[in-house]
Amino acid sequence: MIELHQLVKHFGDVRAVDGISLTVPRGEFFCVLGPNAAGKTTTIKMLVGLIKPTRGTARVAGYDVQGQPLEARSRLSYVPDFPFLYDKLTPWEFIRFTGQLFRMTDADIRRGADELVPRFSLQEWLHKPIEGLSHGTRQRVAITAALLHSPEVFVIDEPMVGLDPHHARIVKDVLKERALRGMTVFMSTHQIYVADEMADRVGIFHRGRIVAVGTPEELRRRAGTDGALEKAFLAITEEEVKADSANGTAP
Amino acid sequence: MNAAAPDTVALAFAGPTPFRLLVRIAAISSWRRLLALREQSWFLLAVIGTFLAGYLALAFMLFYAGLRFISKFPGLGGLLVERLLFVLFAFLFGLLLISNLVISYTNLFKNRETTFLLSLPVPTQTIFQWKFVESTLLASWAFVFLIAPLLCAYGLVNHVAWHFYPLVLVLLALFIVLPGVCGAWASVTLARFLDRKAFQIVLVTGLAAFIGLMLFQFRPQPVTDEDLDARVLAVIDRLLENTRFANFPFLPSYWMSASVQNWSEGALGAASFFALVMLSHALFFGQLVCQRLGDAFYEAANRVSSRGSIFARWGWFRAQSARKPGLPGGELSLPRGDWLDRLLGFGGVLAPDTRALVAKDMRMFWRDTTQWAQTAMLFGLLGVYIINLRHFTRQLDSPFWLSLVSFLNMGACALNLATLTTRFVFPQFSLEGRRVWLVGLAPIGLVRVVWLKFWLASVATLAVTLGLVLLSCTMLGLDAVHTVFFGGSVTVMTFTLNAIAVGLGALYPNFKETNPNKIVSGFGGTFCLVLSFVYILTAVVLLAVSSPWGWKPDMTGEFAPAKAVSTWVIFVLLSYLAGWLPLRLGLRKVATTEL
Repeated sequence: MIELHQLVKHFGDVRAVDGISLTVPRGEFFCVLGPNAAGKTTTIKMLVGLIKPTRGTARVAGYDVQGQPLEARSRLSYVPDFPFLYDKLTPWEFIRFTGQLFRMTDADIRRGADELVPRFSLQEWLHKPIEGLSHGTRQRVAITAALLHSPEVFVIDEPMVGLDPHHARIVKDVLKERALRGMTVFMSTHQIYVADEMADRVGIFHRGRIVAVGTPEELRRRAGTDGALEKAFLAITEEEVKADSANGTAP
Repeated sequence: MNAAAPDTVALAFAGPTPFRLLVRIAAISSWRRLLALREQSWFLLAVIGTFLAGYLALAFMLFYAGLRFISKFPGLGGLLVERLLFVLFAFLFGLLLISNLVISYTNLFKNRETTFLLSLPVPTQTIFQWKFVESTLLASWAFVFLIAPLLCAYGLVNHVAWHFYPLVLVLLALFIVLPGVCGAWASVTLARFLDRKAFQIVLVTGLAAFIGLMLFQFRPQPVTDEDLDARVLAVIDRLLENTRFANFPFLPSYWMSASVQNWSEGALGAASFFALVMLSHALFFGQLVCQRLGDAFYEAANRVSSRGSIFARWGWFRAQSARKPGLPGGELSLPRGDWLDRLLGFGGVLAPDTRALVAKDMRMFWRDTTQWAQTAMLFGLLGVYIINLRHFTRQLDSPFWLSLVSFLNMGACALNLATLTTRFVFPQFSLEGRRVWLVGLAPIGLVRVVWLKFWLASVATLAVTLGLVLLSCTMLGLDAVHTVFFGGSVTVMTFTLNAIAVGLGALYPNFKETNPNKIVSGFGGTFCLVLSFVYILTAVVLLAVSSPWGWKPDMTGEFAPAKAVSTWVIFVLLSYLAGWLPLRLGLRKVATTEL
């Protein structure tokens, strides 16, 4: 469903992403972990078509994101860490607008909203201006709008920022259910426990490369740790930092 | 529901197109912004409404009187009015070009809505079309508002038929398309090849070149009394020579002016011809941009968000960057301070926290070129005009004219300052935005932060305004008493205008917005501009009418201390009240602000 092939991205002299290849099959919940400036967000931006790769290709549902952008984008949804919403609209107007951009009929939009709005407890806020909503509520509106057209691929950056524990649980449940129904989830997060709980597979990014990929159990085995996935993550990234220092490639 | 292939869906889908959806969303948002005005104080709304109506009425009266005066020049009135019209539209075209370039760049490449839309199944061509329309409207509406009184006055002076007015509206709608096209194309091209810093340098260089061109193009031509007596036509011809560029027939402003002029004279055929020339160009280039620039826009957007500094390609720049402190040998070494820190720390006058805040504000202002480029152009043009005054001292030998020009110069300088304080000083407190907790919770406290902003802005702007007014006095050859009078007056006005901007900025903060343009365009910013203009008008009229040199054609220039002192006391009291009240209210609000 998601195929990244030898993705490279340069920002001037800086190589932000350095030859990432990855395949995420249909229905898989894939989590991306990594320290700051590891290339996670840059990879996501290339995956959703916001920026072009310097080299390599990204494909969504078989469509090249750069070569067939509309086909690819109509099959995916992207929710950034601070999503853009039109302040003067109400959540319902925003949800309907997004559905219409995805060429959904009004009946389909209503059907989708009937399912998602109560799940995300948005009924109370549905007809109030977005400008007055809290960050967490805005985040729920953005996720509702993004899920409305039942995307084949769902890309989300730090989904739990600003969410209270109750709504964080709901978001996790909804995403897991959708993944079980065939939606591929590609999630970037710094909350390692979320990845440990949700992910079928986890990819650890470091300095623009994927340095480890596997199920949480596989990563623990590779790092020789047990317990929280955090220990495995820290061990693997520490190992990479040492390797960089030894090779003289540390920044 | 998994989406089918878009082309299949597109055929089956009968709903609104993405472009129509975007227009609809923008219309709803704008309408709600308008409705939100109901939540504002009716008194303040009435003040702003009265001011806007007052501007339209006053501008109309001035233009009407001016055009009538010029049109009555024996044998030359028509020619002079015609040339004024052509020059006006030529300048308008140039200003629209700059405005469209800046707004298109921001709207296309530094806008969160654009990024949001790029991740959706909306063709890049459609996104570009929407942003093009939005930028053109944003860049042009104020110009149309400014020019409306002039065109009304022009119509009345020329006794035009009723259909002239609706036609002018149509012509203006066509006229704004071409600068919009040029601005969008230029911004996409510049974005492809220049990074933000280089773009700012090009912009500032362009503005400097523009001011230089004005200085050269409109340099005064010496005219002797003999010439004025015997060879009036030759003198007028020389004066018109400098503005001949406006009659270049391939300029869109020429088509606009020719159409307006011909329609006002009843030559409907010729007017229609020029209107159709404009229509054909607007349609052709508008269509070209709307159909062909989408891919170029996406490519440019990608480059904007992908490149490092273009200066990094130069060895010298890389060497300079490498010299900056980093982590040599794993050991952190931080600089002890640059020239600004040393300057602010000189003599130990400023406390360390004060120094830190002042340095932060100065650095942020300096590094945002758009913050000061427009101001530099406005004051630059005013400076060019004042420097040129020295050539008119022969014509300005009457004390009446000297006094009138001095007061007008002071008024123009203050009006320029009012735009500066509203545009840059008013949003300063709001721009602290999400960082306000940092200074708010620091021992320095928010109240002192506001005071510091007031003093910094006042001292910095005083250097410019006082400099310009003293230059004006020198160019006009005024004596020391006049110079002290005008210098003192502009000093008081500078502090008052800054107090209004800082006070209202604290009273009406907008911490959600990071774009200063949007902060200023809100209610508080508009109120700040209105109050500043009303204050300037009142202050200049008060000083001029009751000053010892005011409005007396036969005055001898004798100094009348009692009258001067009483005028000044009233002026200072008025200024104190106009500045103190908003600043006091702002400080009181800041003192009780919950972070």
